[in-house]
Amino acid sequence: MIRELSALTRRELLRLARNPQAIATSLLLPILYLVLFGQAFNLNSIGAGHVPPGYFLLLYRGAPNYFSYFSAGMAGFVAVTATLFIGANVIFDRLFGVLKRTAASPATATSIFGSRLIAGCLQPIGLAFLVLGLSILLGRSGLSGLDVTASVTAVGAAEIVLAVVMLSAMFASLFLAIGFSIEQPQTYFAVVNAINLPVLLTSAALYPWGTMPAWFQNVASVNPITLAVDVLRENLFLGAAAYYPYDAAVYLLGLFGWAVAMFFIATLLARRALSPRR
Amino acid sequence: MSGLAIEAAGLVKTYKGKVRAVENVSFGVDPGRIFGFLGPNGAGKTTTVAMLTGNLAPTAGQATVDGVDVFRHPELVKRKIGLVFQESTADSDLTGRENLELAAALFGVPRRSTATTIDSLLDRMQIGDAADRLTKTYSGGMRRRLELAVGIIHAPRVLFLDEPTLGLDPQGRAGFWRFVLELRKEHGMTVFVTTHYLDEADTICDRIAIIDHGHLVATGSPSELKDRLGADLVTVRPVTPSPIMEGVLRAVPGVLSVAVQDGSYRVKAPRGEALIPLLVDACARSGIDLASVSLKRPSLDEVFLEFTGREFREDEGMTATDRAVRVGQVQQAFGRGGRR
Repeated sequence: MIRELSALTRRELLRLARNPQAIATSLLLPILYLVLFGQAFNLNSIGAGHVPPGYFLLLYRGAPNYFSYFSAGMAGFVAVTATLFIGANVIFDRLFGVLKRTAASPATATSIFGSRLIAGCLQPIGLAFLVLGLSILLGRSGLSGLDVTASVTAVGAAEIVLAVVMLSAMFASLFLAIGFSIEQPQTYFAVVNAINLPVLLTSAALYPWGTMPAWFQNVASVNPITLAVDVLRENLFLGAAAYYPYDAAVYLLGLFGWAVAMFFIATLLARRALSPRR
Repeated sequence: MSGLAIEAAGLVKTYKGKVRAVENVSFGVDPGRIFGFLGPNGAGKTTTVAMLTGNLAPTAGQATVDGVDVFRHPELVKRKIGLVFQESTADSDLTGRENLELAAALFGVPRRSTATTIDSLLDRMQIGDAADRLTKTYSGGMRRRLELAVGIIHAPRVLFLDEPTLGLDPQGRAGFWRFVLELRKEHGMTVFVTTHYLDEADTICDRIAIIDHGHLVATGSPSELKDRLGADLVTVRPVTPSPIMEGVLRAVPGVLSVAVQDGSYRVKAPRGEALIPLLVDACARSGIDLASVSLKRPSLDEVFLEFTGREFREDEGMTATDRAVRVGQVQQAFGRGGRR
């Protein structure tokens, strides 16, 4: 089991490393968001000097400015977009016979699914931290950037890593589940697009929390992207915990629930797809 | 335990409750034999292979491979068998060696012998020089040989080959079958091969089953099946048409029938080669000069025609020359003639 899992994971990683275009493409979107959208959307300049002290802290739940709030959201968002293609890889592997070969081998469905999940999470996790690093560098170069105002503790860092890992795993499972259930690439991309944008738009990744109506806040608070970025924001910004009703651990727990549920659904669908056809 | 390497009993596969792809198919394959499963496209060959290899659940019936119930323990069967698909399944983003390393890990080849096994297979399949190239750069023949290497990396007891030479040129086919025969000789491996190339089956297989529209219509060795037709065909062509020639030929002892076609006389007889001198002598005595005499033994094409009532569909586009070239090359590669 361990041997086949590591061999299949190695295969996924080799394929990823041999397709630098895919990595470059997945970098393009977050860089555009940070360099264009993030720079232009400097909400602090609107009404500067005319709003009471602490207004923006309330608006951004403890983040010192919109970019700082937004860059944490972007880290969560790229973790989602970078997992989009792993389901498509399942479909293309099926079309080109590779999945048929693997399914005809003694490899278990768990190994086949697990290897794709592991390899599929590495890229989004890397991208999420790249977004955070790039955001900090932008701030230090004189542009709008991420100001980490809190002293991040070891526990806080672990919570951040866990949040990104679980968010990546959850969406990787979701897109793998779709990939194992759908045969045509065009159908896959249609379904993924139908999920991707609504998930982003119902999260608190981009919108300032304080501008969202209460009903929207309620919807966004259970969105897995919101749960992950809340963990990041609580740990990155000094005093941010005061703006959140729960400790970061609670959001992590919620995210864990999402990840586990999606993992089980995806495992079931993968098992069904890889078991002898009926 | 029947002692058979493969045993199928009453296999039925109906897709979506309507399309009956395989109908009550039963057969057995002795260990160490090459068993050909013949039929045109859509006859049910690949469906049967998919069931026997644990990749497709049957609608009804039972099957064992190397003594293991395929439908109860498909995971066990997958460890015991090798499977070469008709299409290429090698990962084109990996090198030949990496594809084999992956297969070795999945099929549980001992770690300590993996590298030597792979090197030996790469050399044997004559792709050693291209071992570290991505397989997307391989030719069709190289990909087929890599597929075979993947299929046998764990030295399986039973090897399933599903249309393994589809799309290969005659030389590629000959080379592929040479490897298979060597493997059978060295390891005593049982080989189950589906093909719609009848001449290949005639040359390679110990036993043959013919499937058509999901039904098994005949089983036997190639020579048994051809013997069931009961006659060779001698074609005699006179220099000039003769009104008495049909009667002269019919009078020769041993002749079963005479048919006239395009100025030639097609004579059926059980032992054609022994009949030829008698036919030539009879014509000479009647003052008929002959332009040509040829002997044709029954081929599996005729067997197929006999058992299904029609020509083998996939060979329709193949000329007699194509067929002769292919048979010649395959036979040359094995250093033996085709069986009767």
